[in-house]
Amino acid sequence: MSVAEAAPAAPSVAPTVEGEPLLRVAGIHTYYGKSHILDGVSLTVGRAEIVGLLGRNGVGKSTTLKAIAGIVHPRSGAIAFDGQPVAGLAPHTVARLGIAYVPEERRIFPYLTVLENLRTGLDRRGVSKARKAALLDKAYAYFPRLAERRAQFGGTLSGGEQQMLAIARAMMLEPKVILLDEPTEGLMPSMVSQIAQIVGALSREGVAVLLVEQNVPLTLEACRRVYFIEKGVVRHHALAAELSLDHSAIHQYLGV
Amino acid sequence: MNIPFDQFLIQTINGIVTGMILAMVASGLTLIFGIMDVVNFAHGELFMLGAYVGVLTLAATGNFWIALIAATLAIAVLGAVIYLTTLRPLIGRDPLTTILATFGVSLVLQNYALWQFGPVARKIEEPITGHFSLFYLEYPYYRLAIAVLAVAIIGGLWLFLKHGTYGIWIRATTQDRVMAQAMGIPVPWVLTAVFAIGAGMAAASGVLFGPLVGVNSQMGTSWVLRAFIVVVVGGMGSISGSIAAAIFISLLEAYASLWVSPAQAVIVSFVVLILTLLFRPTGLFVPTPK
Ligand SMILES: Nc1ncnc2c1ncn2[C@@H]1O[C@H](COP(=O)(O)OP(=O)(O)OP(=O)(O)O)[C@@H](O)[C@H]1O
Ligand SMILES: [Mg+2]
Repeated sequence: MSVAEAAPAAPSVAPTVEGEPLLRVAGIHTYYGKSHILDGVSLTVGRAEIVGLLGRNGVGKSTTLKAIAGIVHPRSGAIAFDGQPVAGLAPHTVARLGIAYVPEERRIFPYLTVLENLRTGLDRRGVSKARKAALLDKAYAYFPRLAERRAQFGGTLSGGEQQMLAIARAMMLEPKVILLDEPTEGLMPSMVSQIAQIVGALSREGVAVLLVEQNVPLTLEACRRVYFIEKGVVRHHALAAELSLDHSAIHQYLGV
Repeated sequence: MNIPFDQFLIQTINGIVTGMILAMVASGLTLIFGIMDVVNFAHGELFMLGAYVGVLTLAATGNFWIALIAATLAIAVLGAVIYLTTLRPLIGRDPLTTILATFGVSLVLQNYALWQFGPVARKIEEPITGHFSLFYLEYPYYRLAIAVLAVAIIGGLWLFLKHGTYGIWIRATTQDRVMAQAMGIPVPWVLTAVFAIGAGMAAASGVLFGPLVGVNSQMGTSWVLRAFIVVVVGGMGSISGSIAAAIFISLLEAYASLWVSPAQAVIVSFVVLILTLLFRPTGLFVPTPK
């Protein structure tokens, strides 16, 4: 039972949140050189909605996030964010509009301190001193470990701490949506549940999350809706609650 | 052979003075290399053109310090223009194309200077003419002033990079250009600004050094060669490494010229370069790579 069967290469149907969704990806095609990676991906993310993106290895999940972040430019198709077309914009413009990206590899700046890593997103025009302090306080409240290590180089943090920093750094942009690529990869179970809590907290604050994950139970628990992607195409799309009751789609698209 | 202490001391001072100029040229070069992987073969010509702008401004205003600032700013703008017109279109291409492009720019600038200013060297008057006695020598205060100014300029660069938003932007872009941009840092602007800063520092070095040698269209060539050696020996992209290597190599050359002629002493820097490439190709003055 699914909300909608997304037809390949067709603009997404049923924005399941009222009105125009925050983010709408419509039929994007991307290439690395000659290899055709995304073959018409379509999806939507509503305001403050948590949406999952599942699929086997190498199907184009990360590439989808990179395309939304402006790092990879789609050759065709459209991306609309907050009612504005963003496909083809430079990544820094996209980021300043309110799309934050947390890559799979975390990509902490290794020779910047924890605080300087945060400041890469914080030092923007139009952010008052008080606002900056409040944002830092919030990040340190979410991740007390980062507060302890604020003067330490990012490269010296453990994998889990780097993941915390990557998420905290994205929050500094005060984004409307965070693109989270496999945040729990390689983390111990206690950290995994902490990440899940953070994702929930972000949503309650009004931040939408597009979550790519390998951890299916976590995805079903954290997300409202889930897309399944296969060979560069969104094949299926359902409410997480329905997928929890009926695992057939998960078996079909993930082979687990 | 016994070297008298006075000669040794004089050569130490000489080595530090040239070392500081070299450090200024090389730190601009290494800053640019670190952030955009571009080896700027036109760096010596920016040094030379800076000296010429200094000559012209000095003639017009009579004030060396105004000339120094004017040359720095003018060549910084020129650097930004060169970056935008020649290097930015080559982003993402084979590094060889940027080498050829900057080499081409260096030929154009050098021949432009020859055509515009002629083959006769121009003179920049020393702004500080006093001397003090150092053993049997009348040592010019200006040489010491060069060292002090170079320390101040390099120190200013260091503070700029270490503190403040723009320093964070530059370092973040150097470490991971794509992630920096994904964090909202306007990377195209950062790259242009860094090229301009490197160019401005080369120009300032040219003006400071001008009074010691005279200004001609070839003067950048030998400096940029030595600056390349310094950048490699110091560890590509490491500014502190470049500064250490500049002083190290200049001191070695200065001491070597106690025994041999200064022209032969230059060989020392090549020997250091070759030994570095053979035994420690990541650079002498950077931490041991893991
Ligand atoms: N820079 C690149 N150049 C060429 N091919 C690439 C590049 N990046 C990714 N690819 C290819 O694009 C395809 C999709 O990659 P992508 O990283 O989007 O997959 P993914 O769904 O995130 O996989 P995973 O679950 O392993 O992270 C893969 O076949 C990959 O090999
Ligand atoms: Mg991936």
